[in-house]
Amino acid sequence: MEGDANGIDVEKEEDESFNCPLFDRAAKRNGLEISEPIIAYIADFAFKYTEQLAKDLELFAQHAGRKSVNTEDVILSAHRNDHLASLLRSFCNDLKAKEPQSERKRKKASRKEDKATTSVVHVPDL
Amino acid sequence: MEADTFDPDLIHAIFKQIWTRRFLERERNGGNDATDCEVGAGTSKKNRPTSANANAVKLSCELLRVFVTEAVQRAAAIAEAEGVIKVEATHLERILPQLLLDF
Repeated sequence: MEGDANGIDVEKEEDESFNCPLFDRAAKRNGLEISEPIIAYIADFAFKYTEQLAKDLELFAQHAGRKSVNTEDVILSAHRNDHLASLLRSFCNDLKAKEPQSERKRKKASRKEDKATTSVVHVPDL
Repeated sequence: MEADTFDPDLIHAIFKQIWTRRFLERERNGGNDATDCEVGAGTSKKNRPTSANANAVKLSCELLRVFVTEAVQRAAAIAEAEGVIKVEATHLERILPQLLLDF
């Protein structure tokens, strides 16, 4: 089937683009060399993990009655490891802090605390 | 300087590929049931595949980056403990169970 054939092609392409310098840097940090097949193995794992992640995210979003996956779904998919979940949550908070538009959601908090605290970005309209 | 992480577009593309595949399967199965999900291009039933928020994709990239980094670093730790300078498949094998449990 055409759909499947396209799927397989995309898979291979993306497998290869997984071999980014990320791997080399991670290994060389410890001063170790990394053998060739390992990069392929890890790329394969990462790809399979991404597939699993996609399924999980879809299920979580559907469960919440949404069509679109959001950050809460991703954080939830890391629920097995508390440390990982808190890491993701803080990364998420950093992302939101950088975005100027998301300040609108903080209307509730900012109305009361606005005068006292200075948030990172300016609130356009209240 | 390229950031030390996966390309969000790549991850997004992979997600979309899986979600469209699953969506098509659902359609195929849904057609067999012949319920009321008939004509209705814009109805808010399961008529479009899942999509993702931009921040969710970035977060997923981070998650994957951590996954890969953990895998490599754990394997490297085993290699180092053995006193070998090259990380081999056997080292990777040994860290695999715990890694999969942690993620």
